Amino acid sequence: MPENHASDIRIGVFICHCGSNIAGYLDMEALADFAETRPHVVFVQRNLYTCSESGINEIKKGIQEQDLNRVVVASCTPRTHEPLFRSSCAEAGLNPYLFEMVNIRDQCSWVHMQEKTDATEKARELIGMGIAKAALLQPQEIILSEVQTRALVIGGGIAGLTASLSLARRGYEVVVVEKDQALGGMLNHLYKLGPQMQAAKELAAETVQKVNAHPKITVFTRAHVTQVKGFIGKFEVTVETQSGAKKIDIGIIIVATGAQPLVPEGLYGYDGKRTVTQFQLETMLAKGLDAAVRHVVMIQCVGSRNDERPFCAKICCQTAVKNAILIRRQYPETKVSILYRDMQMYGVENEAMFRDSKAAGVRYINYDPADPPQVKADKVGVYHPLLGRKMELAADLVVLSTPLLAREDAHETSQLLRVPVNENGFFLEGHVKLKPLDFATDGIFLCGSARFPANIREAVAQGLGAAARASIPLSKGSVEVEPIISVLADEDACRGCGLCVALCPYGALEVRQTEKGRKVHVINVACKGCGICAATCYQHALSINSFTDRQIEAQIDAFLTVHP
Amino acid sequence: MCTGRLDPAIVAKAFKKGLDGLLVVGCYFGDCHYISGNYQAQAKIEMTRRLFEHIGVNPQRLAFKQCSSGEAAVFVEIVNTFDATIRELGPLGGDGDAVRNPALSEKLATAEAVLAGEKMRWVIGKKTPFTTSGNMYGEIFTEHEFNRAIDMIIVEETEVQEILGQLRQKALSVAELAGSLAIPPARIFRYVTALKRKGFVALEGISGRSPKYKLISQEVS
Repeated sequence: MPENHASDIRIGVFICHCGSNIAGYLDMEALADFAETRPHVVFVQRNLYTCSESGINEIKKGIQEQDLNRVVVASCTPRTHEPLFRSSCAEAGLNPYLFEMVNIRDQCSWVHMQEKTDATEKARELIGMGIAKAALLQPQEIILSEVQTRALVIGGGIAGLTASLSLARRGYEVVVVEKDQALGGMLNHLYKLGPQMQAAKELAAETVQKVNAHPKITVFTRAHVTQVKGFIGKFEVTVETQSGAKKIDIGIIIVATGAQPLVPEGLYGYDGKRTVTQFQLETMLAKGLDAAVRHVVMIQCVGSRNDERPFCAKICCQTAVKNAILIRRQYPETKVSILYRDMQMYGVENEAMFRDSKAAGVRYINYDPADPPQVKADKVGVYHPLLGRKMELAADLVVLSTPLLAREDAHETSQLLRVPVNENGFFLEGHVKLKPLDFATDGIFLCGSARFPANIREAVAQGLGAAARASIPLSKGSVEVEPIISVLADEDACRGCGLCVALCPYGALEVRQTEKGRKVHVINVACKGCGICAATCYQHALSINSFTDRQIEAQIDAFLTVHP
Repeated sequence: MCTGRLDPAIVAKAFKKGLDGLLVVGCYFGDCHYISGNYQAQAKIEMTRRLFEHIGVNPQRLAFKQCSSGEAAVFVEIVNTFDATIRELGPLGGDGDAVRNPALSEKLATAEAVLAGEKMRWVIGKKTPFTTSGNMYGEIFTEHEFNRAIDMIIVEETEVQEILGQLRQKALSVAELAGSLAIPPARIFRYVTALKRKGFVALEGISGRSPKYKLISQEVS
């Protein structure tokens, strides 16, 4: 794409009042006057709301009547409004990447409401920088890439199986990779599921049966993923199966590797016999409790909410309450006490279950982590804050509520897929509210306890959700990629050293042998445009579209020169 | 775009053009939308600060801080603290810096060349593997060892760029370079020999008994 001759650049600047959100705090006339003095600016207009229909029409009219070939809007945040303004430019026949947005509301008028003069000065600097960059913008084309309609689900627990079934019912091929002998994951070890007290084995059997019967689903047990290459739509995955390594072409990946319960070695005299975990209690309940057990004491927050593991695993409370109810109903002679720090019983049904447990005679005693319960030979000592004294509870069985932890191999999986884990080792979603089931990397999704401890219903809901998210690229058959990405701007300069390849967090760069020797190649679809490569290349061969060195320098120059 | 896009050479250039302070605020480690960009930004800013200190720019003029988009109060505190620091230091090349203007401007031009150069960019790019998984011999560097190596490279690279800067103006002998740059002649000789081998300088002629060296303009394609 040849650059416009400098004299051909015609910039239009639209300054938005945002009602009084901006105009109430900045000197709008001064801003408009300033914009008019900047190089290449041929048209300046103030709008009450640039995003309103009339504002949008003004932009289009400006492009058509004033022959604008660059558009700058100084208004709110690009997060919400850049797509709108870009598409308005496109509708008027201007390449949408010749549009530049300046934020004079969220980052200026809203935070400097008491300082009109200084805030106006800052807005001038921001607008000056936006105009300087706009003059150097180059048109870009959206990148389209095909998507292979086969999904890989890593983990055959309830979350992974639910996601697999959901995708298979939509007609997509699914490959499930499970490292254990059997599908079902955690469900295989549980007794009954709260709050409906459904039998875990039934749900597991029913789900596994559906998965095995579905013609679109291929299951590999005692298998694991050993290599993942490529990007959304075109992953090349190697799976080590019982019958050898298999290479499979995959379009999207769902991570549903689950979690593992903490084994509380050295805590509260844990021995796996008299003192067990809730996880072990599930198996004991399934077999039937020993008749000699007349007094059960449960201790909450064992090994969590401390310095080593500061998080609350969120589902241990409901598990304890559920198991307490089950014991009280099946063995009415057996007394259950729960020693807790805070009860985490979120949601209406859990809250109801909590009330039911009290009605069923489960006793609750608050304890202070500074003065934790003492597990003795046949008793548990605890300070009762309401009675204001130490008391001793008879205890034939002590049940420790330990958190679910990230799997030991989660880190390996994260490196394999180049997706992040958080400080607790759980997989980190793209955004906690906006993209809870997506990774930041396109085409990879997550669900279930791999993300954070989840109960069965949550795991199922997340499995369905991840499948729905994954269906978007699968059903479109192609993905559109924002072209603000890395480009090999100077092929001759590139020595193919591979420094950038090693640093790229997305695996979006590779060195290829070309006619001119070893050269780096940008995998457009995988690149997110972070710019690490361009900031590192010592040959200055790589650049980032719409964030080139020249554009950044022009912004710096503008910032340093707009001062009166 | 990410703080990882921050090119240290552009930072030096901006200071050369009159910037008095630069605050880079990135996400917390492990919380970066671009996964590892903030580690890169931190390494680059830290290295640039060390270089700035070496050439006489007060390193407080450059800072890398972290906060999340949900921490308005933290952000305001970071900005206000930095603003106060820069106001106290005053304009670049004044009382706040070890070297004054206009000498500082020349130093910053040298810094820009160092930061745009191959050696610094390789070393910084390799920081994470060097300090975590080790170099090709499996040697893992501590942060302290790595910084010591960086400081050594900063001294060498600055001197090399200063020699190139002098030769850009006219051909000079080792003794002349040593005189104007206040670097021992033996060191200059070592640098010049290395530069000659790499094809950056060549013998221009002999003046008296000492050879004079000239810059070979590099083909920038």
